[in-house]
Amino acid sequence: MPDYTPFEMIAYTGSRVLEDEKIVFVGTGLPIIASMHAQLTHAPGLSMIFESGPLSPVLEMGMPLSVGDTRACRKACYLKGLSAVFELTQRGYSDYAFIGGAQIDMYGNVCSTFEGGTYNTPQTRFPGSGGAGAMAANCEKSIIIMALEKRRFTEKVEFLTSIGFGDGSADYREKAGVTGAGPYRVITNQALFGFDDKTRRMVLLEVLPGKKAKDIQDMVSFDLLISPDLKEMAEPTAEDLRLLREVCDPDGYFLNRKVK
Amino acid sequence: MKKTASSKIKKVSNLKYDRKTAEEPFEWWGPSPDEARRTMSNKAKGMRDKRMPLKEAVGRYVRDGINIGIGGFVNTRVPVAIVHEIIRHGARDLTLSFQSNSICAELLAGAMILDPDRVCIRRVELAWWGYEVIGIAPLLRYLTSNGMIRLDDYTNYGMSARFKAAAMGIPFVPTRDHGGSDMELVNRGRMVECPFTGKNVYLVPACHPDLGIVHVTAADIYGNSRIFGAHCTCPEIAMAAAHTIVTTERIIPNENIRTYPNLTEIPYATVDALVEQPYGAYPGASYGYYWFDMDHIKMFRGICDEFRKTGKKDALKKYFDEYIFGCETYDDFLAKLGYKKLRELRDMDGGQPIILS
Repeated sequence: MPDYTPFEMIAYTGSRVLEDEKIVFVGTGLPIIASMHAQLTHAPGLSMIFESGPLSPVLEMGMPLSVGDTRACRKACYLKGLSAVFELTQRGYSDYAFIGGAQIDMYGNVCSTFEGGTYNTPQTRFPGSGGAGAMAANCEKSIIIMALEKRRFTEKVEFLTSIGFGDGSADYREKAGVTGAGPYRVITNQALFGFDDKTRRMVLLEVLPGKKAKDIQDMVSFDLLISPDLKEMAEPTAEDLRLLREVCDPDGYFLNRKVK
Repeated sequence: MKKTASSKIKKVSNLKYDRKTAEEPFEWWGPSPDEARRTMSNKAKGMRDKRMPLKEAVGRYVRDGINIGIGGFVNTRVPVAIVHEIIRHGARDLTLSFQSNSICAELLAGAMILDPDRVCIRRVELAWWGYEVIGIAPLLRYLTSNGMIRLDDYTNYGMSARFKAAAMGIPFVPTRDHGGSDMELVNRGRMVECPFTGKNVYLVPACHPDLGIVHVTAADIYGNSRIFGAHCTCPEIAMAAAHTIVTTERIIPNENIRTYPNLTEIPYATVDALVEQPYGAYPGASYGYYWFDMDHIKMFRGICDEFRKTGKKDALKKYFDEYIFGCETYDDFLAKLGYKKLRELRDMDGGQPIILS
């Protein structure tokens, strides 16, 4: 098996999760790479939408460096602004969201607002929701990319920025007034997680080859459900890596970054 | 404000927050919808030549205590030239409003740190303030951890919807997000039961800036503006604001506007002052004209982070003295960068198609 970096594994896994003939709401970096790889392989009918305005652009000018920057508008089919993109999302056009954050809990709630201190005087204030809160609420399915660390996979998040399944109750999202079905997958470089239909708790679905369920549980602060059908994460082939490295992110701007 | 209808949010996170602040009675952080409406009704709507030097525009519309709505998105087509002029002019007790911003907000924060008697931010209505892949915004981090500003958090859609409601002339708009997040507890929107479906829906109040500042692709002398590339939330911010200053890369004849009126995103009556300022969004990007200057953005952020870590203001002061206070106009600033840099950024745009005719 050829050598791959942690970020390449995340991008490849993200690509595997996406389906053909869908619209995926992306942010900068790994989500775009994953989506491009999917378009080049099993999902040629997949379209990207960016929150600044463009739907279905052709990313032929190199990697966008900023969410919905001028490169992300290249050869779009439809190009307006933020209001239009989020209105389409509320209406039901956005099948997947890729979101990230600093912390996640067992119900897929994500924090990207602050860490330490209080909301009014935070120790470290993060940028804030940005699009993530809206995407988690109204894209049909959320795919969360997160670094696999105990302090990130936490019992309770410090600020609930992007809604998952809330407190896990069956009517949490309905009472919240949101339209999307909720968190679908959590992708890390060592494990792929889903969510249990009945309890809405995070379930370990796949592990990096060579890892066991216990290895992953040791990196998580809450009790994981383990899939009875636990398998190994598929590894990118030489051709997948060629696509990722030469076509999707040829400057290595995102795939070569060190795992934080 | 006290919330009545609600999701089940209280049971989910570890959130620690000041309830008194979160539940204070609602007040408009700028003109109320009625005041904004009156300002618009009272404006002369003739086709007047809106051109004036940026210094004059800022002198007319920037005062202490106003709410400034900042256009663009992160560092795409952001009104940096206008922000430089606002810093030179000075403005205290400001409310800033935007969906996602980066260098404009950090520049104003830097000015506040260097001299709060010249520029001072009191509070911000926002969805996001950062540098994306480059890192956290150091001055946001500094101001918030020292309790120096107040934030009102929404999603990017929430803030866009707030400007849109204001532009529509209505006092609020319902959204399908914020509910079930901690924003429901701390921000100034509220959950209500929809009278038609009986289900919860989250209302966000209109956001009327006193002054909207936006940078556009092209405009005629009356202010009719075209925006190519992402619109971001610029038309809404311009039309929500009581007054609007527009900088444009290019001035085009009114004849061109009238040939293809569908391409007008901001109508003349919205615009109070118009300034032709090429590279007006630098170091941000402007579709059809130039790419980001990532080196300059990283350099500025590095200076701010240095201050955050050491408390020493020397490098920060040097930046502002050289690029803002040491310049009469934005053209003076651009001249310091040199033709080759501007040419390089122009080439990196790759000639994105825009229509000026």
